[in-house]
Amino acid sequence: MSATEFASAVAAVKAMESGLLTHSDIEQLIGASALSETRTLMESKLSFPRTMEEVWELLNGYAPDNEVLKILLYRNDFHNLKAVLKAKLSGREPADYYISPSNVSLHDIEQALTSKEYDGLPAYMREAAEEAYDIATRTLDGQLSDSLIDQAALAAMQRSADEYGNAFMMRFAALTTACADIKTAYRCSLMQKPRQFLERAICGSTELDKEFLIRAALSGTEGLLSQLEATSYNEAVQMLRESPAQFEKWCDDIIVEHAESARMQAFGVEPLAAYYIAKEAELKNLRILMICRECGTDRDTITERMRKLYV
Amino acid sequence: MNSMGLALAIIGAACAALFAGIGSAKGVGLVGESAAGVVSVDPNKFSKVLILQLLPGTQGLYGLLTSILILRKIGILGGSAVDLTTAQGLMFLGAALPIAIVGLFSGIAQGRAAAAAVGITAKKPEHNGKGIIIAAMVEFYAILALLVSILIINNISV
Repeated sequence: MSATEFASAVAAVKAMESGLLTHSDIEQLIGASALSETRTLMESKLSFPRTMEEVWELLNGYAPDNEVLKILLYRNDFHNLKAVLKAKLSGREPADYYISPSNVSLHDIEQALTSKEYDGLPAYMREAAEEAYDIATRTLDGQLSDSLIDQAALAAMQRSADEYGNAFMMRFAALTTACADIKTAYRCSLMQKPRQFLERAICGSTELDKEFLIRAALSGTEGLLSQLEATSYNEAVQMLRESPAQFEKWCDDIIVEHAESARMQAFGVEPLAAYYIAKEAELKNLRILMICRECGTDRDTITERMRKLYV
Repeated sequence: MNSMGLALAIIGAACAALFAGIGSAKGVGLVGESAAGVVSVDPNKFSKVLILQLLPGTQGLYGLLTSILILRKIGILGGSAVDLTTAQGLMFLGAALPIAIVGLFSGIAQGRAAAAAVGITAKKPEHNGKGIIIAAMVEFYAILALLVSILIINNISV
């Protein structure tokens, strides 16, 4: 599809970008004297679209072709697969754990897991759903089935991005995978997980090789961090040494930084994807801010936890 | 009467209007898509994006002007066609080529530039003027082509 076919969608997104929260908006929200004032300010400043479902609906309406954009929802899709699988095994209501927007409906996932007929799921999910269900029911190892699903989500993102040949999405998938892999390798090194588990949990990407990460994780936490320091992810190591929360923030920030590369583009699907990422970061910031305000966290800590803004 | 000469001149006039018109139509259409996207979110920006949409439309006008000049010179517009040699007909055809070709490509290029400038208007409406200037730069080359076409037409003796 020609990039100029997204001319209308990109222009609409540029117009919507002017409604994104700015640094001064966030400062004002943090600086509000009372929680009620924060809420009122937030209500006045947050413009439409206000939820990720609305963002997705809007982008879908504008985009002449949303196939590439669907990659952005893969993680939600696989999260929902995990949620439905766990809910099913523990006899809970899956709808309570389902997050949207998603490419796959709750009904389709439920149907697939109940009937064990996975054809109703998208091709990128079928194998993972079948294998995760098998592991979860046979071994009752929820951690392993979760890791397998997470790994499958990252692999599916990279595979789809490669298939579409979209450089922006390929980098997005690689960065997301690298961050998730570092997190997994770090946790596994802390828990001294065996190679067999690591092989199922770490995905690998063009950013960080799978075998490199497995070996590094097997060498212990300090070994992993020192080996990662020699890569382009040395900043991530500093964050991990500070706190896992700082690392999470760093991961979110590099994704927004990557989205910023599409800000100058006048055509193509990239500005749409960048807007989705920007809005996700904005809503995450507001969620963190409100939780911190409710807990009475001091302003400096809230400022420190705020994710990078797109605007 | 040498009908080949006249036919070549008419083909030239047609090419000027045709290709420059196609360039403009594509350009205006592209900016129109961008403009519609912005107006769907913020209808107040209609007048600002409309100026940008008009910019790639000039190539079509230049093509039309060139075409009229040729048709007038060869007497088609007056109702009494001039007797043209094949060489003269080729000269008119050649005279139409600069605006036909440059009009086609500059119309499309200006459309892209103006559509990108719509993004400036969408995000920072106060900098709308800068977007117009950026898109208008492409116009310069269409004007040069028009000038060359007019100079050639005026200097063909019939």
